[in-house]
Amino acid sequence: MSTLSERAARGSEGGQQDERSSWPRLGPRQIRFLALVRRECNRFMKIKRQTVGAPLLETFLYISVFGAALGSRIHTLHGFKYIVFVIPGLIMMAWAMNAFSNNASSILQQKFQRSIDDQLSSPASPTELLIAFSLGGFLRGGLVALLTFAAAEVLVDLPIEHALVLVAGLFFVGFFFSQLGVLIGVRAEQFDDVAVYQQFVLMPLIFLGGVFYSATLLPEPFSTLTHFNPVYYMIGIVRYGFLGYHDGNVALALGVLALAVTALFALNLRLFTTGYRLRA
Amino acid sequence: MALQIEDLVKRYPTGTEALKGVSLSIAPGEFFGLLGPNGAGKSTLIHCTTGLAAPTSGAIRIFGHDAVSHYERARTAVGLAPQDLNLDWFLTVEETLDYHGGYFGMARRDRRERCRELLEAFSLTEKRAERTRTLSGGMKRRLILARALMHRPRLLILDEPTAGVDVELRLELWQYVQRINDEGTTILLTTHYLEEAEQLCDRIAFINGGEIVARGTSGELAARYGVSSLEDAYLALVGRKELSRAHLGAEEAV
Repeated sequence: MSTLSERAARGSEGGQQDERSSWPRLGPRQIRFLALVRRECNRFMKIKRQTVGAPLLETFLYISVFGAALGSRIHTLHGFKYIVFVIPGLIMMAWAMNAFSNNASSILQQKFQRSIDDQLSSPASPTELLIAFSLGGFLRGGLVALLTFAAAEVLVDLPIEHALVLVAGLFFVGFFFSQLGVLIGVRAEQFDDVAVYQQFVLMPLIFLGGVFYSATLLPEPFSTLTHFNPVYYMIGIVRYGFLGYHDGNVALALGVLALAVTALFALNLRLFTTGYRLRA
Repeated sequence: MALQIEDLVKRYPTGTEALKGVSLSIAPGEFFGLLGPNGAGKSTLIHCTTGLAAPTSGAIRIFGHDAVSHYERARTAVGLAPQDLNLDWFLTVEETLDYHGGYFGMARRDRRERCRELLEAFSLTEKRAERTRTLSGGMKRRLILARALMHRPRLLILDEPTAGVDVELRLELWQYVQRINDEGTTILLTTHYLEEAEQLCDRIAFINGGEIVARGTSGELAARYGVSSLEDAYLALVGRKELSRAHLGAEEAV
């Protein structure tokens, strides 16, 4: 007890002053930001069977069912083995779904327990909070996508035709869905709210966006309708990055996706700044 | 001033006005009590001070730093032990303190050292690797207080810190905060234990219906309401004088 009392009297700025003598020399802002990100990563790594293992298994089941079983009948699509055609979409889907569900669940859970007050009452700025919450899902999605890619490389010969487009495309897709997860997590008041978006909005958009088929093979009006699905363009970018195949304007799709990410980030930043459904 | 609040108004989107122009000053090193019935505006005032609620109008300064425009410096100076046991279920006891220190920019070595001190001080060392959800209510309450102290705040806000804890822990916690106050930390306390407020606080304010209705030492408050104790003054404030021990004693004598 005396130890506590002696130390407590030192004052609040002690931690920041001690920072100068630490290695590596990070400032209070960097330490704070890292702590916020570490918390988000710690959360999903503590339940990694659910957050990493289950999505991986799910992706492998898709590869088995759609690639091996269906692939034995379809053979090739636009000159590619069916399984090779499908895998880029599966990698994108893994990143997108995990980025979304992680952030939506994490924020809602912390709101539910009110443990988010610890971060909200800290000196962290709205931008720091938003980026840290976004990175949790982004990194989890990236991890699942990377593991899927590594496994796919072992199972099939998956080319990378346009690495820069691929990296930019996956980055924007991951960040878009992590922002979407943050938005839904902030807006949600119960877990059902997250499930509704995930199962009734995202899942249909992703499945109908051409992960498992080429939109050019669809009869009308479904072929045209697919062009109104934003996920169709995301899959197109990623598929172009891997296979070099595209049935649209990749540069335009990438530009629109970058704009969408920026707009969503700006909207979320506004919510964090005003404290919408976070602060009273 | 450690805490200076001027004309603070908080109106919720529902139209409820939780604070109606509250003004309050707490000097550095003071032990200040904020008493009032449920729904009086105590927690709202605390939430506005710590950034958990946005003030509708008015000003809040913490050690001279505006709590809205210079929130980074203002919040660094404040430690909050909230009424709810709002611990993160995913974290262990040690991680709870470590992350909190991180949020306030404390370096790793400093965090580790401070964690060790607080775990020891609050008899949590043996529980350091346990997840917070497995702790008993009393242990959670200790951890909440340890977390509030982690970054060495100059202003410690305790929102009903002993709600639902047993007698010995309550007394133990009061000893801690009393000692911390003696060593210079300013304390803002809300509690329903009036005898403790009377014993611990240098000054007390009564808040009711979103307004500060009286302030002073416990003796001054009792004198203002023409009664002999803080409890009776409080009962007079909430319009329940008939519950006063003196009143009940007189009735029994009759």
